[in-house]
Amino acid sequence: MEFIRQWVFSLYEIGVLPSMFQYAFLTNALVAGLLIGPLLGALGPLVIVKRLAFFSEAVGHGALTGVALGILLGEPATQPFVALFCFCILFAMLLHWIKSRTDIPYDALVGVFLSFAIALGAALILYVAKKVNVHILENVLFGSILTVKDMDIWVLLLITAVSAVLIIKGANRALLASLSPDLARVRGVNIRLYDYIFILLIALVTVASVKVVGAILVGALLLIPATSARMISRNGREFFAYSVLFSTLSCILGILLPMAGALPIPSGAAIVMIASVGFVLSLIIRRWRVIQ
Amino acid sequence: MSVTVQLKEMSLSLNDVEILKPISATLQSGRLHAITGPNGAGKSSFLKCLLGLMPHKGQIKRHWPDKNRGVAYVPQQLAFEPSLPITIEEYLTTTLTSKALFFKRVSSVRSQVEVLLERVGLEGKEHLRLGQLSGGERQRLMFAQALGQKRHLWCVDEPMTGLDVTAQALITQELLSLRAQGVTLLVVHHDPDWVSDYADEVWSINGGLVGHQVNLHAMGTMRLKTPKVMNRNQEVVA
Repeated sequence: MEFIRQWVFSLYEIGVLPSMFQYAFLTNALVAGLLIGPLLGALGPLVIVKRLAFFSEAVGHGALTGVALGILLGEPATQPFVALFCFCILFAMLLHWIKSRTDIPYDALVGVFLSFAIALGAALILYVAKKVNVHILENVLFGSILTVKDMDIWVLLLITAVSAVLIIKGANRALLASLSPDLARVRGVNIRLYDYIFILLIALVTVASVKVVGAILVGALLLIPATSARMISRNGREFFAYSVLFSTLSCILGILLPMAGALPIPSGAAIVMIASVGFVLSLIIRRWRVIQ
Repeated sequence: MSVTVQLKEMSLSLNDVEILKPISATLQSGRLHAITGPNGAGKSSFLKCLLGLMPHKGQIKRHWPDKNRGVAYVPQQLAFEPSLPITIEEYLTTTLTSKALFFKRVSSVRSQVEVLLERVGLEGKEHLRLGQLSGGERQRLMFAQALGQKRHLWCVDEPMTGLDVTAQALITQELLSLRAQGVTLLVVHHDPDWVSDYADEVWSINGGLVGHQVNLHAMGTMRLKTPKVMNRNQEVVA
């Protein structure tokens, strides 16, 4: 990581980059953003095709409880990775397990889990808020570019690599399983295994994105760029490409713009707001195409 | 002709309600087996039990030499979300290769897709979204994905639903060609004329097997008989 920071600093010194690039934390945040953006962008279309938008939102909110549990169990308040990951996985698996064994409508089930996650998370967060600096909690929940450390980037790199392999290897089968489940089963696709792998991925990216996007807003970044891409794409390749592009741009601009304008906005909030601007632009482009 | 599938007392119950009474039957290679029966008789459920898509009791014994050449399935018209940006070409590609659809497709897969679409009369429509297809076109697409595999057994659920006369002739021709290659065909169909013209064996299902008829007329003449092929103006061209 040090050589990247040195390289960016040297570009600032020779006047290629503006003064904000003299700060190492900005370089760290940008590297994290360049990993998170494509990762969330590539996963987003699968979330849309599998109609799991509400599910990923629920897992993101489950992270609230995961963070509080981590702090309660003695993990560092700035890096409660183990509890966060374990809780998100448990939460997502339990939700999916109940879904596969009952005939409760999926949206109602996710609604129950989402409400419970927020209620439990709020109760625990208020409790642990007495023990730690409340700003640390804010950073974990809504993201902060100041807190990204080398260790976070290595964790992120590992999760991105694992996710990339799983997405590249399984995208086609996951797509077929979502569009025509019976057909996929006859062709030997283990739909249950793919569902659980997908849940694992959602939990992994939630953990990976906590530092920059914040636990609460990860779900939004899985959903908004992919929805924007869906509106203006003519085929599946464009769908994936635009989603990755929108998500990456949102991350980079969401990190840079508040810094350039000296705005006291959490990076997660800025990233999601920029993604929402992209959504509005996509709506306009789609409307313009219809008129044309 | 050899035995492809043997069913021994295969039955289906859901929530303690008996959908199919125990059925014992044999499917033979190079024959077209038609399943008929009224709505709600359990025809599609029978097919799904055979495919392992529904929990059933009894035994299903498969006898085919190459385990990689299992079953091809043509489901009854699937619904696709209209705004989902997945094209016909991409859908077929996902059934042919494991290479993720966001990578550039290799030319062999592209030409394979072109051939399949041509065989079902969907040539020139590869860039249409799944949601833009009519019911008949969706049915043809389902047929195309099955043609992409070389399978011992074909399970086809109401293949003519929504198809115009030309497409019906095209699909019938493909089914007969598969039969001639020794493929075992199991076709759910409600049209008695089509069944009596083309099926070698007819199984009547109504909550269980209520009738079995060997169609000697079809067996004796079918391999020579070809359906009428019509052009877009419904004129017979072959």
